[in-house]
Amino acid sequence: MARNRKNQSAAIRFGPALKVLLLCAAIVSACLGYVWLKKQLGELGQQTRRREALVRELHAQNEKLRRQLAELQSVPMLEQRVKDLKLGLQPPQPAQVWNLSEPAPDAAAPDEKQYAEKPKGPGSP
Amino acid sequence: MANKLQTRRLLLMALLLGVAFAGLGYRLVDLQVLRHDDLRTEARKNTERGYQIPARRGDILDAKGNLLATSVFVKTVCADPALIGNRQGEVAHALAGLLELKESDLAQRLLPHTRLNERHETVTNHYVVLKRKVSVDTWQKVTNAMAQLTFADVNEKELTSKSQKAFYHDLRAKSIYTDPVDDQLRNYPSHSLAAHVLGYTGVTERTNGGMRVLETIGVDGMERTLDDKLRGVPGWRQTEVDRQQRELVALREEDVDPRDGLNAVLTIDAFLQHALEMSLADAMQHESPISVSGIILRPRTGEILALAVLPTFDPNNPGANEDARRDRVIADVHEPGSTFKIIVVSGALNDGLVTLNDQFDCEHGHFSFGGHILHDHASYGVLSTEGIITKSSNIGAAKIGIRMGETRLYEHMRDFGIGLHTGIPLPGEVAGFLHPVKAWKKVSIAQIPMGQGVATTSLQMAMAMCAIANKGVLMRPMLVDRLQDQKGEVVARYSPQTVRRVISEEAARQMVEALKTVATSDGTAPKAALDHYTVAGKTGTAQKPPYTSNKFYASFIGFFPADNPEVCIYLSMDEPKGNLHQGGQICAPVFKSLAEQVAAYLNIKPDKGDTGFPEFPITTVDQAPKTAAVRAP
Repeated sequence: MARNRKNQSAAIRFGPALKVLLLCAAIVSACLGYVWLKKQLGELGQQTRRREALVRELHAQNEKLRRQLAELQSVPMLEQRVKDLKLGLQPPQPAQVWNLSEPAPDAAAPDEKQYAEKPKGPGSP
Repeated sequence: MANKLQTRRLLLMALLLGVAFAGLGYRLVDLQVLRHDDLRTEARKNTERGYQIPARRGDILDAKGNLLATSVFVKTVCADPALIGNRQGEVAHALAGLLELKESDLAQRLLPHTRLNERHETVTNHYVVLKRKVSVDTWQKVTNAMAQLTFADVNEKELTSKSQKAFYHDLRAKSIYTDPVDDQLRNYPSHSLAAHVLGYTGVTERTNGGMRVLETIGVDGMERTLDDKLRGVPGWRQTEVDRQQRELVALREEDVDPRDGLNAVLTIDAFLQHALEMSLADAMQHESPISVSGIILRPRTGEILALAVLPTFDPNNPGANEDARRDRVIADVHEPGSTFKIIVVSGALNDGLVTLNDQFDCEHGHFSFGGHILHDHASYGVLSTEGIITKSSNIGAAKIGIRMGETRLYEHMRDFGIGLHTGIPLPGEVAGFLHPVKAWKKVSIAQIPMGQGVATTSLQMAMAMCAIANKGVLMRPMLVDRLQDQKGEVVARYSPQTVRRVISEEAARQMVEALKTVATSDGTAPKAALDHYTVAGKTGTAQKPPYTSNKFYASFIGFFPADNPEVCIYLSMDEPKGNLHQGGQICAPVFKSLAEQVAAYLNIKPDKGDTGFPEFPITTVDQAPKTAAVRAP
């Protein structure tokens, strides 16, 4: 026997409402997620831009320091410093340099062992 | 009635609405279909930006890795005169000091200029370059100065007009800006050191796919020769910006990194280069010549360890003095004088036409040949071939040349590279002049052997001497040792290149024996003798044409240790103004002092004098100090 709508229980109508609610929640979450992702993307973009600028700045500083170092290490600059500080540094004269000849390796005696002795023991072949 | 009226009104309303919708529809079709492409381009222009990312120009290093040339990224400061209004005076006052420009000139450049464009519309210029090569630090100061700009006659807090507020905001924030593409400043930390080898750079502007690009290019020296290796390949970025012109990183479409240029490692040694330049500067001070030049080479490989010319220049600021920028070692030719005798005598020894002991009558200083009288600087009777080199007898050399004959003399000169490019990797090298035999006069066969009637570069003569030192093998001068990337990985390594064998090994050995006598008390260059090394060398004193002018070109080329040559040094002075003008008098002492420094620096093993160990106390941990005499094995 068909029942009157008035007699339908609330429990039976809760199902579709829940579905709609869940659907709405899903749509809202998706939208919020989309916005959140967009925001994250924007923030990460900003961070990337800032860090790229920082890297550029550090590179520039590095270059500047490298140039300064090269200038300080250049031969004319070093010579000037030696003169200014009166260090009296001079290259060695030929008579001050020892030229050592490499001694020829002694010819090994025929019976002399040239290699490390092989271990002898139970495990050795 | 009423219904009729209502129907009419309704129809009218419908018609109006229909027309309105039709208009809107047309507008829609016009915007979305008919003008779609134009508007899309217009819209993209507002947000899309394309940047070129410049590649860093590679460094130039010496053989020991010392930095000789490097690059720094710098800014090109520009202005938009349309945003400055009538405030040129205040802006110029704030920036002139920072940009090192004259205030009045700067104010003039900030004035807006109008012109008619292709549609005959009046447009104002929005781009004026104020200064190139501005350091990042200075640009920071410029932006600070602009941000703090104040105007005495305006109280900005009381301004009510939006347009006026916007004007002052734009003036501070946008009127002075930098080119989006960074420029590069080439920096030479050692200033004028090796200036003629390194050369210098310039800037060129070109457009690439609609983008304006400033490029640093090599103008002279190694900067020019290695330009394509040093330059690198620029990258690019296609991206979008927001309303404040900030980049939207997430919307980057193309992002290609630049490939930096390669670093070039030269054979030049900064210490030897400095020693050579100091020696030349001393010579310049004492003898006041027009110019003084020097080269230090390794005869076995043709490596150039140092090459210098005075007057010189600072590549950081090359200036307008072309004379100082000219590399006289390769670009100037001159009659070599007596140094040329090495070629004639070597050729004759090689062909077996003479031996070192053959005797020649040097006619006591006067020899008539081909309608001319040849002279020696002293009266010599009979001299051996070796004696001709020792004493530098013109008449003796002429007689050897005559014995050799025109054709063989010409062939030997060609073999030694006279009249040909040496192949040094520097721009501007000239080949000199060596006329073909058919253009010779009768006296040429006697004049050329003493270094007249032929024009050579300093480098050609240095390479010829190196060929003798190198057992008769002529090498190509070498300046680049290797190319390496930014991480130091070797990309290309250059090896010594043999040009040809010019004389036999035996002839070269005999020639070295003869050349050893030059730096002795009997020779023309006793002042070139070294205490610990045997020197083989040859002096040259060429009278500059016209020969009555009493102007000279003095030179000395020598190598040591003579029997096992490590280093060859060429020195020359153009028109020395002192009392002396002979190569043996003014160049030989410079050679001696320089050679001593070179030998000490390169730690070349002595081949004469006391080469043993000096006596000195040796202290050990266990023993008390005592004196030990140790001799070399």
